[in-house]
Amino acid sequence: MTALLRYQTALLVRSQRWLAPVLLYAAFVGVGVQWGQPVLDSLGYAAAGLLPVTAWLVQLCVSQEPPAARTVTAAVAGSPRAHLAPLLAGTGCGGLLGAAATLVVLLISKPNSTDNTVRVALLPAGIAGLLAAVCCVLLGAAVGALCTRPLLHRRGWSVAATVLTALLALVTGGSPANTAVTGLVTGSRTGTVHLPVLPFVAAAALAAAAAALACKLAALRG
Amino acid sequence: MLRGVDLDLPAHTLIRIEGANGTGKSTLLRLLAGIDSPTEGRITGRRPRTAYVPERFSAALPFTAAGYLVHLGRIHGLRTPEAADRARSWLDRFGAAGHARTPLPELSKGTSQKVAVAQALLAEPELLILDEAWTGLDTAARDELDRAVAERVAAGATVVFVDHDPRRLAGSADAVFRIEGNGLCAASGAPAAKTGPRVRIAAAGPPGAAIPAGLPGAPEHAPAADGGVLFTVAATHSDALLHALLTARPPWHIRQLAAAPGIEQDPGTDGPPHRSPTPEAP
Repeated sequence: MTALLRYQTALLVRSQRWLAPVLLYAAFVGVGVQWGQPVLDSLGYAAAGLLPVTAWLVQLCVSQEPPAARTVTAAVAGSPRAHLAPLLAGTGCGGLLGAAATLVVLLISKPNSTDNTVRVALLPAGIAGLLAAVCCVLLGAAVGALCTRPLLHRRGWSVAATVLTALLALVTGGSPANTAVTGLVTGSRTGTVHLPVLPFVAAAALAAAAAALACKLAALRG
Repeated sequence: MLRGVDLDLPAHTLIRIEGANGTGKSTLLRLLAGIDSPTEGRITGRRPRTAYVPERFSAALPFTAAGYLVHLGRIHGLRTPEAADRARSWLDRFGAAGHARTPLPELSKGTSQKVAVAQALLAEPELLILDEAWTGLDTAARDELDRAVAERVAAGATVVFVDHDPRRLAGSADAVFRIEGNGLCAASGAPAAKTGPRVRIAAAGPPGAAIPAGLPGAPEHAPAADGGVLFTVAATHSDALLHALLTARPPWHIRQLAAAPGIEQDPGTDGPPHRSPTPEAP
């Protein structure tokens, strides 16, 4: 698996297709996160942007191998494992992006509540921000895995489904990403840190189920 | 669509699959390689270490030829230095050593195919699936692939191949299957007629030693006048046979090597059966 991951990551890095989603996310964070803003607000904003960007990265990874090369790796590693590797590579890339964004937000934000009355401890805020980022990355990975090969083969449908599902996953009340992000933003008003543990568990379960389905279908539908 | 396919893949065998265009040869190979799963039925047994060569491998991947092979070698389970070493030697064997540092998208079709073949051979797979892998290779590389296939079979692997050239590895295939309708049946005339160049090897074993079992290419053998044994084998298997004889325990001694006379035999009147009682003069 390590070799497969290394191969998929090298493919992504060398193909430079990661540039578009990473630049988009950088612009999103650059516009929304300013120096001296309340930390929990900014963490929630940075986490929310990770969901569509991870979905995009996962789809890039899944479709970056030409069909002939894909059959070669699938024969060596088996189709399910050969499909799991790009899913993990894309998710890992999203995770790195999330960790970097969380760190930047922690460094430049003001450790206060929105109305500047309550002081927010940076360490719990950082942990909550990281957990929220992981929630969004995992949910984005699930969206990315379900809205592309082997479930959706047509590129147009794939893009439309990804945009729609990612948006729904962000705004629907009760979705792990939405719960984690609103937990941060509402906590910012009173200066309390809510650790999104339950949303994290739910997002992990959803991502695992989506990956299992996609990997199983990879051998049946290509 | 294929149905009711019952195929056994024993070790030490070379299997040819035949069939008209669009009958599902590639589908069957992809099933055997574990790329696709059957919607009905199943493939039993431990999954062997598998390698697959697709028909056209023009992969626009952002790697050099050697870089790609090292990645694939690692996925096969090799360590990086070993993978790099084998990548170099296989590219060299197929006459593509000069392209090791060329990016894959810049390679010609033939050289890309050499990379695809090297990828499959470098990890010494237990199951090698070749889907018209010879297409696009130059003559020298085709012959080299024939020999490499014979070596893999001699080393105990199972090789399954499809090729549009009916003479490809003729006389070496242990079984030939034909896809007819939706099913698979043993092709008539299998193993195929022994055409193609053959090599005669005069060898002598240690006194009293029997001929080693399971020699590559199932050579015909006859006692020679000088007390040795005269093996006749398809030229693709001659290297593997020599290797097997020299590394047998106790090892055999090679006395003479020559091209066998009477290369073309009429497929209708098949050659002498194994263990021909009359010694032939070299």
